Amino acid sequence: MNAIELNHIHKSFGGFAIQDLSLTVPSGTICGLVGENGAGKSTTIRLALGALRPDSGAAAVLGTDVSSPAFTGVKEDVGVVLDEAYFPETLNALQVGKILASTYRQWEQGTYESYLDRFSLPVRKPFKDFSRGMKMKLAITAALSHRPKLLVLDEATSGLDPIVRDEVLEIFNEFTREEDHSILISSHIVSDLEKLCDYIAFLHQGRLLFCQEKDRLLEDYGVFVGTAEQAQSLLPEAVVGREARDYGGVRALVKRGMVPETLALERPTVEEIILFIVKGENRR
Amino acid sequence: MKALIQKDVYVLWKQMKIFLLVMLVIMVGNGSFGSVFVVVWCSMMPYTALAYDERCKWDQMAAMMPYSPRDLVLSKYVLGWLCAGAASAVVLAVQAIIRALHLSVATGTPLAVLMSFCASASVLAITLPVMIWFSVERGRMVMFLVIFLVCGAAGALGTVTISVDQTAGGIQSLFGFFMLILPVAAVALTAVSIPLSMRLYTARR
Repeated sequence: MNAIELNHIHKSFGGFAIQDLSLTVPSGTICGLVGENGAGKSTTIRLALGALRPDSGAAAVLGTDVSSPAFTGVKEDVGVVLDEAYFPETLNALQVGKILASTYRQWEQGTYESYLDRFSLPVRKPFKDFSRGMKMKLAITAALSHRPKLLVLDEATSGLDPIVRDEVLEIFNEFTREEDHSILISSHIVSDLEKLCDYIAFLHQGRLLFCQEKDRLLEDYGVFVGTAEQAQSLLPEAVVGREARDYGGVRALVKRGMVPETLALERPTVEEIILFIVKGENRR
Repeated sequence: MKALIQKDVYVLWKQMKIFLLVMLVIMVGNGSFGSVFVVVWCSMMPYTALAYDERCKWDQMAAMMPYSPRDLVLSKYVLGWLCAGAASAVVLAVQAIIRALHLSVATGTPLAVLMSFCASASVLAITLPVMIWFSVERGRMVMFLVIFLVCGAAGALGTVTISVDQTAGGIQSLFGFFMLILPVAAVALTAVSIPLSMRLYTARR
């Protein structure tokens, strides 16, 4: 079973549209959603969880159509951390816990309290006095305390300091040790996703440019570094994107399968792949 | 639904001390108008809760939690009824105390309070779909207009009830008509309002 399945989703907002979006997150995997600001990551997440109705296309989560009434029950198994949407600001962590205990049948107060303790979150301080990092920590705590099978995280690591970010990534890793647990995570911090994810999905201007296994992605592409003359010898269709460097040098992202094996290529990072693809797209 | 009402009660609780004081000031000395105003005003508490929700984008979060659209919409109605019910109880209690102490302070009649509960349910039924569709910020003007009209009408009616004992049966029959029409209006408007709010809430998504 797939944790998330989006099939040919269209959603238009006038000036911006999600176009023909098909995305699958297999159960037991972590999928990272990458894209520039306004690429449609948050919209994709809202469409995936039925918080927005698509103009066309279908979405299913944990095997249930998100537009069906049965999906309300399935949301018991989904933990959500959103970029902006929080709990009302006059509430404190204690009250949030009580509300969520009345919301989720599988709520585990002990787990909630242990995460509050682990993140050193004050229980009686109003939410409005929390820093962004503390708000994210509380949201992560809440999302993890009702035994979810799927975590959906929208910029969940932004605003966290590097030490806590690392700890949170480790918690997410622990979460997926259960074989039916899955995560869809969007982030600007591509290095976090590279560390965590099995799949990388890249959204650009409302279109999904690719959704691929991370290891496969890193194997499929290579970075060519050489002179402009050497770059001329590359097949045009092998070059995904290129940039000029000092002293007539060229740095280009190429498809490994389309260049001679004798040509030395550097291993790219996911961030480099994405940047080169965007540059290549913008040139078209 | 319980969780949603619990959340709104927590959100509103902090304002309650000042609110109770303001209620008392308005209630005592303003006759029926004060009593009616307090009950109708309290039934508007869901809009304060809605404003807090909008500020923190709670609706986005709630849409991804195991709450059905029915629960999300209905919880605001229930909160309004609870607040109006609680305010009615407070007003009746204050009236009883004033009567027991033989104080010469105008607080209105118990009947006016019961009718104002029906009026507040009607106001809620008219304004909540507007708030759900336009959001609190933009729907506020419509809400003020409706409250003004209802309170003005109910206040006038309340003044009539005070003088019921001194006037002829014609006014009593007019009062009886309102006694009948207000509960019927409240039930009918609510029956139309809830499905309408749910439809508007779903359409907004």
